[in-house]
Amino acid sequence: MKTIQEINQKIKNGDAVVVTADEMTSIVAQNGAQKAAEEIDVVTTGTFGAMCSSGAFLNFGHSDPPIKMTKTFLNGVEAYSGLASVDAYLGATQPSQNPEIGLHYGGAHVIEDLIRGKEVELIADAYGTDCYPLKRVETSITLDKINQATMVNPRNCYQNYAVAINSTDETLYTYMGTLLPKFGNVTYSSAGTLSPLINDPYFNTIGMGTKIFLGGAEGYIISEGTQHATENERRNGVPVSASGTLMLQGDMKKMNPEYIRGATMPKYGPTLYVGAGIPIPILNEEVATRTAISDEEIICKIIDYGVPRRSRPVIRETNYKELKTGKIEIDGIEVPTSPLSSYKRSKMVAVELKEWIEKGDFLLTNPVRPLSSKGNIVKPLEISKPLVMVKDIESKPVIMAYSGEKINDVAKKLVDNNINHLPVVDNDGKLKGIVTSWDIADGVAKGKSKLDELMTRKVIIAREDESVDIIARRIDKNNISGLPIVDKENIVKGMITAEDISRLIGENLKDENGGESI
Amino acid sequence: MKAWLKFLPTIVNKAIMSDAIKIYDIDFNILRAHINPRGGKMLVEISGPQENECIQYMEEQGIEVIPIMRVVQKDSEKCVDCGACVSLCPVKAICIQDDWGVEIDNQNCIGCGFCVNSCPTKAISLME
Ligand code: SF4
Ligand code: SF4
Repeated sequence: MKTIQEINQKIKNGDAVVVTADEMTSIVAQNGAQKAAEEIDVVTTGTFGAMCSSGAFLNFGHSDPPIKMTKTFLNGVEAYSGLASVDAYLGATQPSQNPEIGLHYGGAHVIEDLIRGKEVELIADAYGTDCYPLKRVETSITLDKINQATMVNPRNCYQNYAVAINSTDETLYTYMGTLLPKFGNVTYSSAGTLSPLINDPYFNTIGMGTKIFLGGAEGYIISEGTQHATENERRNGVPVSASGTLMLQGDMKKMNPEYIRGATMPKYGPTLYVGAGIPIPILNEEVATRTAISDEEIICKIIDYGVPRRSRPVIRETNYKELKTGKIEIDGIEVPTSPLSSYKRSKMVAVELKEWIEKGDFLLTNPVRPLSSKGNIVKPLEISKPLVMVKDIESKPVIMAYSGEKINDVAKKLVDNNINHLPVVDNDGKLKGIVTSWDIADGVAKGKSKLDELMTRKVIIAREDESVDIIARRIDKNNISGLPIVDKENIVKGMITAEDISRLIGENLKDENGGESI
Repeated sequence: MKAWLKFLPTIVNKAIMSDAIKIYDIDFNILRAHINPRGGKMLVEISGPQENECIQYMEEQGIEVIPIMRVVQKDSEKCVDCGACVSLCPVKAICIQDDWGVEIDNQNCIGCGFCVNSCPTKAISLME
C-alpha cells in the first residue's frame, strides 16, 4: 500500500518508477501484480483520437469602446457568445458559415490555428447598450493577444467504444470515418491497452480534480463527462461498450499542436483530435492488476452503422489485439480494419507524461472526489411528436409490372398512368426490380423483349418500419424521385415519392407555426 | 514503371497504345485518364521485359512519357497516423508500421484517390 503523498515524495526525489500502460502489461505478466505494485509507482496512459465533444472558452478582453458580443465568428466559424460580453464558447464541430468551405473548416481547425500561433479573424455583432455601446468589431486575434483561452471538453476519453461496420450497399460517411459498403472495412477508435479509463475501470484513482496531460500541457479532470455510463456489461472489469467519460479542462495557451489537431471526417464534419493522458498512481495490487490489462482482454462489439437507429445491431464481438492485426474475419471473409485514433500518438502522450513525472515536473493529485462508478445510465431523448413512419403514409394503390409481362404492356402502363418508373414483382408480389421508361426505350433499341432482361435489379427501397425522415435523406442522397415501399417479406406495398415527403413536411411545418411559414 | 503519357491533339485518334502493347507484349494498366479532342494525359503502369523499347516506341510516335516515382504524397506534418486511410485502400498500399506510423507504398498505389478523400487532416494528395 502506498499513498499519493509517498509517491509524490519519490517523484520529488527523482526516484519514482514510472512506466507506460503497455509496459505495465508485460511487467505484471512477468513478475506478478504483487511485485509490480511494490516496484512501480506510476503508470501513464494516453490516447489521441477524434473527440467531437471538445471546445474552448475564449475571453477576448474588452475593446474601447466596449461591446457585448451576441454573434461571434472566428475565421467564419460561429462561437456561442450568449454569456456576458466578451466570452464565447467555440465548439469543435461547428462548421464554417461559408457554404463554400462548409465542413472543411470548423471550430476544431480554429482551435488548432490558435494553438499554432496563427492570426484568426474575429467578427462580432451586438445590439448595443448604454454600458456596451459598440455594435460591431472586426479585428484579428492571436492566442497570445487574447485575454484567456481555456479548453473545456465536455466529453473526452471514452472508456471503450463501438467498432463500426456497414452492411448496406452504399458507402457511409460517419463520425467513425468512411465505411465501405457490404462489410468492406471496419473502423475502431479506442487506444486499447493505453486508453486512460480502461486502466482504471472502476475509477479507484481517477476523479474530480485529477491532474492530467491535455494537449501537451497540464490539464485537469473537471468531473464525469456528459453521457458518462457505468452500468454496461463488463468483461475482465472493463465495459464492452462506450461507458465512462471525462470532462476536461486545460490552458490552451500552453498547448502544443502536436497533440491538438483540427480534422474533418469526410462528409460528416469537423472534429478535434485530442491527446490526453492520465497518470495512475499504483497504490496497491488491485490498481496494479487493472493497469496490466492487455489488448486481448479488452472486448468490444462490432456494430452495424448501416442501421441509422439509436440501437444498432451487433455483428460480432472482438478485442483490440485482433483489431490491431489490421484484419478481422466477418462471415468467413477477411475485412481490413482501420484505427481512427493514432496508437503512435497515444504512445507519445503516455511517454511524454512519463518523462514529465520522471523529471519531477509533474506531481500527482489526490482527487477531490472519485468519479461516479455506479448508477449512471444514459437517458435517451424521446421525440414527443411521434415520427411519421413509412407505413403511416397513405400511398396510392401502386401500379406494378410483373416479371413475366411483355414489354409493350409495361410501356403502355407507364404511358397510361403518366409515370416513369414501375416496381417489378413476381407472382407473390415480391419485389424483383424496377423499370423506367428509359430502360424500356433502351431495351427495345437493343432488341430485348423480356422485362427480366432490362429491369434494374438493385432497387433502393423504403421499409414500412422506417421513419419518413430517413427516407427523405435516402431520396436526397441517391438523387432519385421515389422508391417502392416493401414489408418484411419484401412484398411491395406502395410507392413513396419526393412529393409525398415534401407534402408531409409542409403539413408538419404548418401545424407548428399555426399556418404561417417562417 | 508508372508514367504520365501526354498526348497532343494530333495523335489522340491514333491507335498508338494498342500497337505498342501488341508489338512489345507488355502489361499495360491505365490508372487515370483525362482525354478529350484537345489532347490529354493518362497515368499508366507499364511492365514487361520490353518495357524500355515500348517507351521508346511511344516517344517516337509523339507521346510525351514522364516517368513518376510517386502517385500520391503524404504530408508527414499534417498526418497524425490515425490510420483511417488504411482499410480503404483497395490494393493494401497503406500500412501501419512497427512503430504504428502510417506509410503509403507508392509501388503498389494505383492512384484511386480513396485515401485522399478519406483523410481527416487532408494529408494525402494525388500527384499531377
Ligand atoms: S490512392 Fe488509392 S491505391 Fe493509392 S494509396 Fe490511396 S487508396 Fe491506395
Ligand atoms: S488518414 Fe490521413 S492522417 Fe490518418 S494516417 Fe492516413 S494520411 Fe495520416
